[in-house]
Amino acid sequence: MEQKKVIEKISNEYGIKKIKFKKIENQQFKVKINKKEIINFLTYLKNIGFWQLSLITAVDWIDNNQFEIVYNLVSWELEQHIIVKTFIPRENPRITSIINIWPVAKYYEWDVNEYFGVVFDGNPNNGKELFLENWDDKPPMRKDFDPLNYSKEKFPEKEYKNFRMKRKREVIE
Amino acid sequence: MYTKKLMEKIKNIIRGHSLFMLHYCTGCGAIELPPTMTSRFDMERLGIAPMATPRQADILLITGYLSAKTLRRVIYTYEQMQSPKWVVGFGSCTINGGIYYDSYSTINELDLYLPVDLYLAGCMPRPEAIINGFERLIEKIENGDADGWKHYKQNREWYKKNQKQALGDSLYTTR
Amino acid sequence: MKEVKLFHGPNHPGMHGNFSVHLTVDGDTVKKAKPNPGMLHRGFEKLMERRLWMSNIALIPRVCVPEPDINETVYSMAVEKIEELEVPERAKYLRVIILELARIAVHMMSIGGIGGPTGVYTAPNWALNERDMILDIFEKITGHRIYHMYIVPGGVRQDINEEILEFIENTINDIESRLKDYYEIIFESPIIHKRLKGTAPLTKEQALDWGVTGPGLRSTGVKYDVRKKFPYLVYDKLDFDIPIAEESDAYTRLYLKYLEVKQSIKIIRQVLSDIPKGKVRNKLMGTALKWKIKEGEAYGKVESSRGEFGYYIVSTGGRYPYRIQVRGASYPQGLYGIEAGLPGTRLEDVSIWLDTMGVCSPEVDR
Repeated sequence: MEQKKVIEKISNEYGIKKIKFKKIENQQFKVKINKKEIINFLTYLKNIGFWQLSLITAVDWIDNNQFEIVYNLVSWELEQHIIVKTFIPRENPRITSIINIWPVAKYYEWDVNEYFGVVFDGNPNNGKELFLENWDDKPPMRKDFDPLNYSKEKFPEKEYKNFRMKRKREVIE
Repeated sequence: MYTKKLMEKIKNIIRGHSLFMLHYCTGCGAIELPPTMTSRFDMERLGIAPMATPRQADILLITGYLSAKTLRRVIYTYEQMQSPKWVVGFGSCTINGGIYYDSYSTINELDLYLPVDLYLAGCMPRPEAIINGFERLIEKIENGDADGWKHYKQNREWYKKNQKQALGDSLYTTR
Repeated sequence: MKEVKLFHGPNHPGMHGNFSVHLTVDGDTVKKAKPNPGMLHRGFEKLMERRLWMSNIALIPRVCVPEPDINETVYSMAVEKIEELEVPERAKYLRVIILELARIAVHMMSIGGIGGPTGVYTAPNWALNERDMILDIFEKITGHRIYHMYIVPGGVRQDINEEILEFIENTINDIESRLKDYYEIIFESPIIHKRLKGTAPLTKEQALDWGVTGPGLRSTGVKYDVRKKFPYLVYDKLDFDIPIAEESDAYTRLYLKYLEVKQSIKIIRQVLSDIPKGKVRNKLMGTALKWKIKEGEAYGKVESSRGEFGYYIVSTGGRYPYRIQVRGASYPQGLYGIEAGLPGTRLEDVSIWLDTMGVCSPEVDR
């Protein structure tokens, strides 16, 4: 289906006139939606054919003091890709989990929870470790985390002046 | 005394010609191992074959970057291996961190944590380079130069200190 | 009955890559499975924010080791979408050549890789040789066997000449002439039949629930391929089929890969005969170190050998990307799929399950 028709259909049927859609390319468009609407809107999208959840991710807008949660949905019948975005405050970030709509969201949300510290209400894995082990700093994908400093502190390089070992390093080309 | 030295020398020659490398793909360099093992480059002609368990393996290959989470497993694996045992570091990432020098989850210099006997430069080393490296390793073993495992025993405290800095106090268990 | 907890991997002969699964077994049957990823985590998304748009080209192929070219393509496509940059026609054809050659290489590796868990060691010895022939082509085109860094935003790095095109044609003719032998040695082998037929079944509902794409989904009868539904490059001009199967088990999933190799060869033939002349790269403004990409976001996706592979890129108009998220093709089956699908499998089939589902650990961990 053409993108215009899909957009018309969504804005007529879903009932909120104020939703602004923006075209990215012929088969991809984005929409910004209120945090409270997210469950209803995603359920609606799933019902009209967007039943593959491609990705959940987050963006840290540190200057606006906000997190942006991004849902990427794909419809194979409509041949459209929709990017649904919502903003939540950066302090005490919370949003409702969508594992009841897509079970696979459990791991995408876990991922965002681990890397950004966003809490998904309803997801059983909040605060548990998935990729990292014995992590002792702020969530690493936040903009105020500096990986270079962390790397220097945790995984230092040798100081060659005080190096007492007698073995030679050997490199073969 | 002389006989003992001679015996050691003979043993080294024999060791060098029957090497089992541990089948543990720690990083992306492992993608060049299947071509090295199979028909085209065939490293079995040098007497090197893959081995499933660390207890019967001689070589531990650190194929590329090593994340802290893997380092914990690698140390565990290395200490399970019977000496004599050798560590080969693949690619630039094991030498100084390479392209991941500023990553928060990969280590920078491998020989702070494990005694490395041989480095292979490149990202990633080609099968020819791997074969060349193994030939050099065999040579070193025959001459008795590849003594990283002895070094690890003698400087255990120094290594443990570094390992604890990277992994925290609980080296073998996770939280 | 007593339940035992087993650690399957990371150091396990049946694991492809550095990945681990915690299994709870009762006798030989898996009762509970929990994936333990992160052994290959390098923090790519953070590192990419710290590098220039151009220097990211050197970093991204490392996201997925067996099939690095899709990363460059997806990254370039997403950047081109934000920047609204056109790609020259010849560059599109060259990209298709690289992508399809990479698909053959990966499929050959996974067809050979089944030799590990089943013990048919003829398979890897034959199939990896075929893969090496393709790596030779890559070496001629780009100068490196594994990481090519050939595809850049705006086109490809350099043109390839007639001699190399001829070499590609000869090589794929060679590979095609041997495909029949592969069928006999691998797909008619009694060991493969006994071990793979009926092993690791996957239903259509499961596949849709988990979000599996690629050969895994197509083996359950769903005809979804990004190349057909969301055509990119010149795939809408090419004539090829999407092989599907009705009942999904380890054997059909592997067999689909074999059929896809045939389709890829067909695609490459068409590209070689249709490829137009012309320039291969539209340059962005200024030198590569001063690139600035417009403000905006886009999701680029392609069909990799394991399914839909995507990059979500956010730009604020600066010299560095603001945020990049990688969607690995095997992310759904590698994490949620293991938790939901492995219980009920027998212990000896776990490696076959992971292998034929195409769980690729570096792209899950990133």
